[in-house]
Amino acid sequence: MSSLAVQARGLSVKFGDVTAVAGLDLDVKEGEIVGLVGPDGAGKTTTMRVLCGILVPDAGEAVVAGHDVLREPDRVKARIGYLPQRFALHPDLTVNENIAYLADLYSVPAGTWQQRRDELLEITDLARFANRQAVQLSGGMQQKLALICTLIHRPEVVFLDEPTTGVDPVSRRDFWHILYDLPRQGVTVVVTTPYMDEAAHCSRIAFMHQGRVLAQDSPAALRAAITARILEVRCRPQRTAREALKRYPTIEGVEVFGDRLRVAVSAEADPAAIRRVLEEAGVTGLDIRESAASLEDVFVALAVGQQSQEDDSRAGEE
Amino acid sequence: MRLRRMLAIARAEWIHNRRDPRSLVVIVVLPVVLLLLFGYGINYDLQHIPFAVYDLDGTEMGRSLIQQFQHSRYFSLREVITDRRRVDVLLDTEEVVFVLVVPPGLGRDLGAGRDAKVQALLNGSDTVRANVALGYIEGAILDYSTKLGIEFARHHGLSGTTPFTVHPIIFYNPGLESDNFIIPGLIVLLLAVLTALLTSTCIVRERELGSFETLVASPATALEIMLGKMLPYAVMAFADVLLCIIAGRLIFGVRVTGNISLLLAISIVFLAASLSIGILFSALARTQRVAIFLAFLGTFLPTVLLSGFVFPLRSMPAALQLISKVIPATHFLVVVRSIYLKASGMAVLWPLVLILAVFAVTLLAIAAKAFKKRI
Repeated sequence: MSSLAVQARGLSVKFGDVTAVAGLDLDVKEGEIVGLVGPDGAGKTTTMRVLCGILVPDAGEAVVAGHDVLREPDRVKARIGYLPQRFALHPDLTVNENIAYLADLYSVPAGTWQQRRDELLEITDLARFANRQAVQLSGGMQQKLALICTLIHRPEVVFLDEPTTGVDPVSRRDFWHILYDLPRQGVTVVVTTPYMDEAAHCSRIAFMHQGRVLAQDSPAALRAAITARILEVRCRPQRTAREALKRYPTIEGVEVFGDRLRVAVSAEADPAAIRRVLEEAGVTGLDIRESAASLEDVFVALAVGQQSQEDDSRAGEE
Repeated sequence: MRLRRMLAIARAEWIHNRRDPRSLVVIVVLPVVLLLLFGYGINYDLQHIPFAVYDLDGTEMGRSLIQQFQHSRYFSLREVITDRRRVDVLLDTEEVVFVLVVPPGLGRDLGAGRDAKVQALLNGSDTVRANVALGYIEGAILDYSTKLGIEFARHHGLSGTTPFTVHPIIFYNPGLESDNFIIPGLIVLLLAVLTALLTSTCIVRERELGSFETLVASPATALEIMLGKMLPYAVMAFADVLLCIIAGRLIFGVRVTGNISLLLAISIVFLAASLSIGILFSALARTQRVAIFLAFLGTFLPTVLLSGFVFPLRSMPAALQLISKVIPATHFLVVVRSIYLKASGMAVLWPLVLILAVFAVTLLAIAAKAFKKRI
């Protein structure tokens, strides 16, 4: 018996000419909260669907909750919970009816799930709306209901596809409180999120880009692994500064974050030289300070590295 | 196969229908409206055929013939024409189906013992009506001629008899009323279309709403889902069977001469086959609209054209007869008409019931397979 809740090797999924997942490897240990992070179209949802046994991959294999997804999808399905990105409950059924429906589908012994339901309704503050139709709930409450339905049968592994998208900040916090609590109950969590602040709370992050996992590690280790230094540059006009920096050597990437530019520079770069370049370009109100690498920086660096590698290999083929 | 999962799916579907007023329209209003529309619309029995009279003779003999028509329930006199031009007008505007022309000299010819001819001008643009009307006219004239002949013979001291007459005894539908033939067929048509319509949206709707993903991610099997989805609609469709039988009796006066329990029991087998057709469309279609369209056309047309509902199967080309055999409604139609009119029992009907059962199982299997592929 392995201590891996999820083990995927070489997963590939093609939709016609489009490759959604390209030889993906992923390991998730029992009791972890793993965040799948990546831009739209990176293949996060497709990966989840394969791991949940509802999409057959073109290649590769996966073992989830101790069972082979391809050979025993029904055994996998019975042991996991899946919260799709799109609201996937019956809108015309009430909160209670939806929960009962899921409890029945997953054959939770009668009499045992009601307590779990009341508990979850309490935590999510949905108890007041138990008899309200799902369609009449707010977006945030719908997501909470979906989470309850995902957890009602006490799954060993839960897959949550952007569970907090469209949820207000307060509800988001409540949501994550519930998620943090799951590993203590022996539940493994795989979650996708577009919010880096949420990803930072995962025990490990898997960065996905173009159907592959580029790196998977704890947030701290990922941040530490970045070799570039990050300079935060404030000045006007941003556009001029960006153009000037892009042409300058030792600069690995420039990203705009609101009123700042985050500039990734190699270790040997000289901030003073960069200041001169910008002054020569004619920007005003210049302020440069060194910053710790954020997860966004890590992600940008990884994605850029991946892109240049591909460009190199393509150039090599030609 | 777990009963609890199947019932959970059935329950969700039931609640959905209870809360959606559109379901009520399909389940209750549609069958009644269709039954009334078709029941009154399709009628081969022509009564009170409108006609006009153009009497150029004006003798007692002509008037007596006209009276013969007037007193028949098959004809209804609309106008006594005095102007030649009215003949064309009445036929053109279809105010009458035919004009009976009594030629000048009819009374004189008959009095003199010569043959007399009566003219009937018919509007042939509606061939069915014209044919039926012609038949009635000839019948009425023949009746009248025979009566005259007998009177004539008696008048001359001879025994007046007609040499040959047919004495028909009609089995199963003694009055040869077309309602007795049409209403049972109509019930089959209604059920075939309604059942497919009912189930046609149940899976594709979940696909559109997104709840489909929850369903396929759950351990529920394709068969559990199929049966769970069908169960509530089977109950509703069964209620529609009762509704149709009662409406046929109350509105059209058509009674079941055979065993009603047997009819109900066999209809369950047919419903299973027919509901599976709707589920199959629902599993294949990508949108509810397409599913409804497919279900309607896919059941309505074959049932109307090829089941024997309107057009007798025996007069169809062999290829069409073969196609008609793969339509469940064809077989159920025979069952319903037999029980309705001939009071047939299982001794005669069992092969048809067997065929329907094979249809039900096969279609359900195909639907489950089609569904599984799309997961």
